[in-house]
Amino acid sequence: MANIRCVNIRKSYGGHSVIENLNLDIADHEFVVFLGPSGCGKSTMLRMIAGLEDITGGTVSIGDRDVTHLHPGERGVAMVFQSYALYPHMTVEENIAFGLRRQKVPQAEIARRVQHVAGLLGLESFLQRKPKNLSGGQQQRVAMARAMIKTPKLFLFDEPLSNLDAKLRERLRTEIRKMHLDLKTTTIFVTHDQLEAMTIADRIVLMRAGAIEQQGTPSEIFDRPATRFVADFIGSPAMNFRGCVVSRDGGSVSLVAGSIRLEVPASEFDGLQHGAKVEVGLRPSKMDLAAEGDLNAISGKIILVENMGSEAQVIVDVDGQEMSFVTKAFRTLEPGQPVSFSIEPASIHVFSKETGRSLRKAG
Amino acid sequence: MNNRRFLFWTLTPGFAVLAILALISIAGALYFSVMDRSLRYPDYHFAGLYNYQRLLSDRRFLNALQISATWEIVTVVGSLVVATLLSVLIFETVKSFWIRNLICFAFLAPVLLPRVAAAFIWRFLYSPSLGLINYLVGLTGLGPVEFLADPSLALMSVAIVDIWQWGLFFTVIMLKLLETLPRDPIEAAQLDNARTWEIHAFVTLPMLKAPIISLALVKAVESLRSFDLIYVMTGGGPGTATETLDLYAYQAGINLGGRISYASAMSILLLVLTTIVFTLIWRGIRKWSV
Repeated sequence: MANIRCVNIRKSYGGHSVIENLNLDIADHEFVVFLGPSGCGKSTMLRMIAGLEDITGGTVSIGDRDVTHLHPGERGVAMVFQSYALYPHMTVEENIAFGLRRQKVPQAEIARRVQHVAGLLGLESFLQRKPKNLSGGQQQRVAMARAMIKTPKLFLFDEPLSNLDAKLRERLRTEIRKMHLDLKTTTIFVTHDQLEAMTIADRIVLMRAGAIEQQGTPSEIFDRPATRFVADFIGSPAMNFRGCVVSRDGGSVSLVAGSIRLEVPASEFDGLQHGAKVEVGLRPSKMDLAAEGDLNAISGKIILVENMGSEAQVIVDVDGQEMSFVTKAFRTLEPGQPVSFSIEPASIHVFSKETGRSLRKAG
Repeated sequence: MNNRRFLFWTLTPGFAVLAILALISIAGALYFSVMDRSLRYPDYHFAGLYNYQRLLSDRRFLNALQISATWEIVTVVGSLVVATLLSVLIFETVKSFWIRNLICFAFLAPVLLPRVAAAFIWRFLYSPSLGLINYLVGLTGLGPVEFLADPSLALMSVAIVDIWQWGLFFTVIMLKLLETLPRDPIEAAQLDNARTWEIHAFVTLPMLKAPIISLALVKAVESLRSFDLIYVMTGGGPGTATETLDLYAYQAGINLGGRISYASAMSILLLVLTTIVFTLIWRGIRKWSV
């Protein structure tokens, strides 16, 4: 049992406040990703939970035990660092066994457990090597083995994949996820890579400037972004934003900007008074080439076709501003051509101009 | 001019000066060591290995050899132990940047003092009648301690001055080295439930092994040249309790009797001995630090 509870967490350096009254509950066995741009406080949050950073105010409990003032080693957590943080002068085996040796675990028991985790992570043949003779991916596996062998109550990952190349990153991502399915240890994973977060998380906690902007499953965050910031941060290619004016005509509501006219179901949104100014967000991946007579078609002139293999991002000039959409049928498209693309009304996001909050009704 | 020629012409003058200075003095010493030159007589003759033979049965020489070895070990180990303990203590307890720099500045002062000045300061501190240290000892009820006149204390008392100069200097270097270490392995060790002393014993100091070995070698070479400190503080006495090889060579060759050939033989033996010992140590370290 290791649920995490953070209550009114505050962090300030000198007089400068980085995190203000942050509250967060993480259930036992959950895989939570802290996601956000650099400097949003996600790593600081993680390090406070680990005990590597003093907590200015508030309490952290792990498994219903208040650990706010406990030494990092006494919290029952294990951490994997971005830099791997291996002990450079020790062999792989000594690195993995270091924590158990400090706990005075019997030698035979240590040897057995080292063999076990080395087997799980495919490190058997490297045990006598020094870290400097390993590749980045192997080093990160050693770091994971060092964390796993302690059978912690909580795993913390601080951008563990950021120093690896793209292919290795994908593979280790899968391994971390598999490891979690096996061990079911509560895990917090920090990243600034939204794709990594989407693929690995049970729940994403999206942070911005020291506060939680939105939390939810990856689908919730992707399909129902609570704010313009979330919508902009999540998804690749990035969402198109357009300032629009609401036009109410009887029962139907349209959002108008220049030649663009998008009809949305009025019942799903709040605050769409006639003449109100809003910001509309359209995901490129939710749009495609328009068929004849499609609702919500947008027309423009192709600027660029970015081939991504099985599909392409098409960048289009619409009333002098760039918009983009993704299509599989891009082979015939050429820059300079006129083009028409459309979006389902259910995929249109509308945000308040003032607060940036989504105007979509909850539920 | 091609690269090789350039290297040749830039390196040659320097090497030539060094070689001439070193070789001429060594050759001169070698020459005198097989003569019976003494300042008492104007003439001298070839004496073969007579001087070397006499050295090996000279109890004062063997004593000096032993004192020199003790001096090396005590000052090198002492400086490094003091530096290690103090630097870790400061690293763990003093977090303020300004106070740390202030401490470093204060710790650098002793090594900046000329040896002779340091020696005089400590002679006064150690003085049985005027010295501060004996005043403090007196407060505890113990009588005045003859730090420099007691044969069992003299060498250690002088060694303390050497460690005071170099141990504090090395403290500053090791503190700066600790500060340059990456934080992550230290934090990983904290999470691995290592106590503070374990973090330093098992993580930070092993990570600094190479620079610490360099410091030890520098200090070992430096300790060979403590003539001025010992000469001013005790002059080799009481008796021969602090007489190192260089002091004895000086006493034999220049101060007493002017037995130049005898002193030359001693210098040559010292040269051979230190070369062998340092080569062995160097080899051992290279093997061990891989």
